[in-house]
Formats: sequence, structure tokens, C-alpha cells
Amino acid sequence: METLLGQGRAAIDLIVDAGSFTEGTVGARTFDDPDFGPGAVVGTAQLDGETVTVIASDAEAFNEKFPVVYSGIIGMEEGYKMAQAVYATLAADAEKEAARKRAIVLIVDTPGNGPGKVEELFGMNKATGAYQLALAEARLAGHPIVAMVVGRAISGAFLCHGLQADRILSLTSEFQTMIHVMPITSVSRIIKKDVELLEELAKANPVFAAGPAFFYKLGGVERLVESIDGMRPAIAAQIADIRKAKSDGAATALTGPRGRGALGAERGGRTVRPKVQELLRAEFAAVEDRFRPRAN
Amino acid sequence: MPNWSRLQTNSFLECSARDRAVGLVDEGSFVELGGPFDRLVSPHLVALGEAVENDDGIVTGVGRIGTRPVFVISQEGRFIGGSVGEVGGAKMVGIIDMAIEFNDRLVAENPDLPAAARPLVAISFETGGVRLHEANAGLLAHAEVMDALQRARHKVPVVALIGSRIGCFGGMGFVAAATDAIVMSEFGRLGLTGPEVIEQEMGKDEFDASNRALVYRTTGGRHKYVMGDANFLVDDTVAAFRAQLADLCALPVASFEAMRRIGSPELVEKQLRGVALAAELKPTDARDIWRHAGNNDPVGLADGPLSDFRKSVRRLAL
Repeated sequence: METLLGQGRAAIDLIVDAGSFTEGTVGARTFDDPDFGPGAVVGTAQLDGETVTVIASDAEAFNEKFPVVYSGIIGMEEGYKMAQAVYATLAADAEKEAARKRAIVLIVDTPGNGPGKVEELFGMNKATGAYQLALAEARLAGHPIVAMVVGRAISGAFLCHGLQADRILSLTSEFQTMIHVMPITSVSRIIKKDVELLEELAKANPVFAAGPAFFYKLGGVERLVESIDGMRPAIAAQIADIRKAKSDGAATALTGPRGRGALGAERGGRTVRPKVQELLRAEFAAVEDRFRPRAN
Repeated sequence: MPNWSRLQTNSFLECSARDRAVGLVDEGSFVELGGPFDRLVSPHLVALGEAVENDDGIVTGVGRIGTRPVFVISQEGRFIGGSVGEVGGAKMVGIIDMAIEFNDRLVAENPDLPAAARPLVAISFETGGVRLHEANAGLLAHAEVMDALQRARHKVPVVALIGSRIGCFGGMGFVAAATDAIVMSEFGRLGLTGPEVIEQEMGKDEFDASNRALVYRTTGGRHKYVMGDANFLVDDTVAAFRAQLADLCALPVASFEAMRRIGSPELVEKQLRGVALAAELKPTDARDIWRHAGNNDPVGLADGPLSDFRKSVRRLAL
């Protein structure tokens, strides 16, 4: 069976216009030090003739300065480099009206964030947080962001490289894609429930099961893509759709993490979330006056 | 209801989430939203036959400090490690959203409304991050909280308070990093990958999780203060956290940008100077970084009283 697991660079070529990817250049910014965040592949390409920023992981790269970073892991340099690529994208189109801002395509195949002592001493949480904030800022500024899961989309690394996108697409599990916090066997061990029981329960409740189909039910994946050839048109269609949602002013409800919340309720995967928020709102409305500025 | 005055002298570390929520704001001002009587339990824990809590392990509400409405989110580590699932995540996002919406309404009515009357969000973290019993929903909730924090930028200050037993790890580690200001006690811990997980993944040579002093030196309040990751290092009492929060309540939202660690290209450049230093210094212990920052006796500094530490410590300049 075909797979793109571990082949982030190959995935770029399959997705963008032939020969259009320029690695290491985003707008006015160049990333010319090959030793800086080598696992983070950033650059500019054309997709159906439109300029896009591409951010991917190179699973073959090894960061010699930070030995926990290999196999597509996002370490400190990688997280900040990805954030820089997003800020360079924002800067490149700062003068353009919102509807014409270039899209950002995230090609997702990453097993995690750098788990090391040096990383904790210097604050790995900041690197991944910086990248997420940059993506959220770009999304709110009008840049359509599409994440395409081609391999592993795991836990904290997926949170930074994927879950801040407007829309998330995933190849189906036949292509060995993995989306999870932890494999179900590890979940089973930690929460002390049999794997068999969890697998049985997962048929009705997708919240702890691993895989793109379960994420689809939760609204975490907008669409499953069933062929490698299908990725390119699916991404282009999403970009067009996001642009439309943004120009209608509906992007908040229809795209991004909140859009996935709405989709999760619609698909029956996360139905309690909106009820909780409605209840909080109603309760605050009843006491709101107490917290208004007092008239003197 | 706990006795508010008595609460003030309590150890922040020992306090429950509800005591922290009540004690951080003015006496008698806290109104819990989505409280235990609403029975917002996790349906996923029910499906697994697990015990539930009627607030899903997170206290949310609104109170007041002086004239400022303070929206409070307080995580309870005693319930499944303060883990975040669908309900807890929805409560967090709901509270931040309401603070933003309330701010927008108040400012629309009175554009000159002084900072001290505008909403602020305080998050008392005590969490290991995603709840594994509902991991996928927890992951999606984390992304929503990050999105809400970015929406709050330049409107509603968000202050992180970290000094509870579990610390603040996993996905919530970067949520905390993304807030405007971080207040810690020396017992607070902040990070991404917890010590046990590093030991398990990388081996005991990389990180000995049973070495408590090492764990605190790596992710504890004193170290995070040296690194600039904690803006303020306070005593371990509710009153001390509250006093720091009250000081911050006097500030306009623009003042908080200067306290941020991440959230702009300039701050990314600054953090990258730290990363370059990490590559150069190859520290095996926080002490190496403290020394580099100009502290000649890191051992004495780490072991001495907090008041001496605050007075004499040199923080890392990037």
C-alpha cells in the first residue's frame, strides 16, 4: 500500500504546481542556514497558480544541536522557524486586502514535540506556543490555512502544526496516517481499561480512539481524502471555500478550531461542548449587571 | 463557602481549585458559572464507567478585584490530574469568550472606560494537559483555548497563576506560555513534557524523574523566573497571588504586551537567542544557565529563602 509517511518533502511536490516550490524563501525572508531547524521545511510555491506558503516536516533530518529532534519531531528551532515562516507570510501580504492574502498549506507528518531536558530548561512550551499563536494571528488576519495530514499527526505536535488551521484534511488510514494523542494500547494501560473494551466503545464514541476516521466524527478533520492524487484538488477547494467563508464574515463559526467545534456537534461526536457554553452565557447574563462599572 | 479572610493565609499549593477561585478575587464577589449544581459532567467518563465530578474538575466564574471584573478559570489537580476534556475545555473557552464579549459591550457603550473597569481573565493552572479518557476531544479543546487567547490579545489581559501541586504541563504548558503574564510561586512548575515522560522516552540518564530537586530546578518557579518565563515570583499564599493579580488589574491592556514571551516576530527572535544559547551552553542542569546569567552561587541561591533570591538573583538577559 502506498504511504507518504516520513516523506514530507515528496508530499510537497505532489501537492503544489510542478517545480514551483522554492525552499527557504517566504516573502522577503530567507532561511539560508541549512543547520537551523533542519526538520522544518518552509518555503513558497504555487498551487493552481496562486502563491502559497508551505510548511512541512522532514522526517529524514536530524538536528545535531538538539539530539531529541529527529524523525519529524518539532523541536525548539523547528517550532520557532515555522513561526517565522508564518510571520514572514503575514508581512509579505500586510498591504493586501484580507480576501487576497496568500494561503498557508501545512503538510502534517510529525510524531511529537522535542521531549528533552534542555528543551524543558529553555522552555519547549514557548516554541510550540509561538507557532500556534502565529498561525492563529494569520488565520484571523484572513490568510486561509489548510492542514493536510499525510502521515503522523500526534498530540502536542499536531496541536501546533495542524490544529490552528482553518480546515484539516487527512489521507485515510489506508495510507498509514495516524492522528492521536496516544495509541489506544497506551491509553488502555494508563487509564486501566482493556483494549478490547475501548475498541468496542470507540464504535459509538470516537473520543479516545486513534485514527483519522475518529477525528472526522469529532469534527477534527473536515474531509478524508481517499487518494494521493485527490490531495491537491481537495486543498485548492478548501482554500476557495475558506476565502468565501472569510469574505462572508462567517469564518469564526465555520473554520478554525471553533468551526471544528460546530462540526463536532453536527457530526454527533462532541455534543456537550455547545451546551456548556450556552449555559455559561445564560448564567452570566443573569448576573452581568453586578460586574458593570458602577455609576457614581 | 470557605472563610475568605482565613483563605488568604492558606498555602496556594494546598488549596483546592474552588478556594483559589474564591480567594483570588474580592471578598464575596465570586459568582461561579457552570458550578457543581449544573452537573456538567464528562459524558465520556460516564461511558467508560469512571467516576465523574459535577464541575469536571474545573471551577469557572467571575468576580471582582476593585472595579475590575475578573473572569476566573481554576483547574483542580485532585480530579484526574486536572486533565482537560470536552467539558473542561468548553468551560475555559466559554469564560474567555465571555470576557471578550463583555469587554466589547462595555467599550462600545463607553470607549473611554478606564482599564481598571475592563474585564481581565485569570487562569489558575493545575494540569497535565489532555485527559486521556477523551484524548481527541481534549486535543481539540486545547486548540480552541489557544484560538481564544489570540482573540483576547489587545483587548482582555490573560494572567496565568501557577503554584499548584500538579504544575502546568502538556498542551496546557503552551497555553500558559501564550498568556500575557505569568505569576508563579517557587512550587509552581511549568513545562511541556513532564519529567516522567522524558525519563520514559529518553532514559534515566537524560532525566531522573525521581530526583525531585532536579525536577524543580528544571521546571520550577525559581528557574522559570530566571528564564523570564515567569514574570513574577510570589510567596506560596493565596494573598500573595492575589496581591500580584491586583497589581496587574491596575494596568491597561497595552502594558501587558511588554510582559509577553511569545506572540510577535520580535519575541520569536528573542527566544531564538535563548535557543542559540542552549546549543552553545549545552546545559545539563539549570545551574549552568543560572551561572551564565551571572549568578556565581546557584546552589546557595536555589536553597536560600525566597526573599533573598528575589533580591539578589540575576535573570537571563536575551
